[in-house]
Amino acid sequence: MANVAQAPFPLTFGTYQDALKLVGQAGQKTVAEFSVTHEAIKVYCALVEDPNPSYWDEDFARRQWGGIVAPPGLLLSWCMALEWHPHKPRSHYIMALRVPLPGDTLINVATSTEFDRHLYLGDRVSVQDRLVQISEEKDTRLGIGHFLTTEAEFVNQNGQRVAVQTNQLFRYRTHEA
Amino acid sequence: MTEPTRKFWDDVTEGEALPQVRMQVPYAKVILNAAATNDYFPGHHDPEYARAQGPRNIYLNTMAIEGFIDRVATNWAGPHAFLRKRQMQMRASIYAEDTMCGDGVVRRRYQEGARNLVDIEIKIATDEGVRVPAMVTLELPRR
Repeated sequence: MANVAQAPFPLTFGTYQDALKLVGQAGQKTVAEFSVTHEAIKVYCALVEDPNPSYWDEDFARRQWGGIVAPPGLLLSWCMALEWHPHKPRSHYIMALRVPLPGDTLINVATSTEFDRHLYLGDRVSVQDRLVQISEEKDTRLGIGHFLTTEAEFVNQNGQRVAVQTNQLFRYRTHEA
Repeated sequence: MTEPTRKFWDDVTEGEALPQVRMQVPYAKVILNAAATNDYFPGHHDPEYARAQGPRNIYLNTMAIEGFIDRVATNWAGPHAFLRKRQMQMRASIYAEDTMCGDGVVRRRYQEGARNLVDIEIKIATDEGVRVPAMVTLELPRR
């Protein structure tokens, strides 16, 4: 029986055999908590120091794209869970966090993202991911665990596909643990 | 405002090197990273947690590194470019107090249907060497 640890972030524990039963399963479709705002775009551009006028200059962005657009790297951030909500438990859309495995920590390893269209101010993304693959146990520099591959589809509020992303993360226990 | 750079697909040559982009990553940048991407996974803000899971300090998350890769690409191509695809592998972490250095080379120039595309190989390094190899496909305007 899998149990869920809430601290420091929600994870489900179980065996590799438990985990394999979930391969092919889709997570819940989740409407992003955050809609696309110029403020969030500017804060992110300040993080990566990106002066691209598509994100800053309303005149340029209107002529080129029809309006200010979101940097592609912000895609996942719109869908992250709030740290606290009055009516919802803290949970992430990310299916890989709900896969029962022994590993008590994780690190993201690789992403591959294909983009169909921009996100504009006021847009609201929905996301659904699916567990594609779980590796056998691997012993790495960081620890012993499993690589989880998921595929996520992001759509806008009109049901138009914005992007698809394949993600790989490593769920593990450190050698000391 | 001056008119931004505009790289036309017609003018790109395979093997062309992109201008290098550098960025310092002080502690404040890693904390800004957590806030800017709504990512409160403890490895990105709690040095004690980060060390317990293996990395030697708090480290940048996926979205920060993606944004820096994209910046290396569009800094060269200009803001008329559309990012069609980005693949990246985080072989090692980028820590607080590192300096990130992004280099790129155009590997392929081609057309797919109505799209005029270039594939750019980008490597994000720190003083310790390449941390994140990436491949970006941009769609560029024609002359």
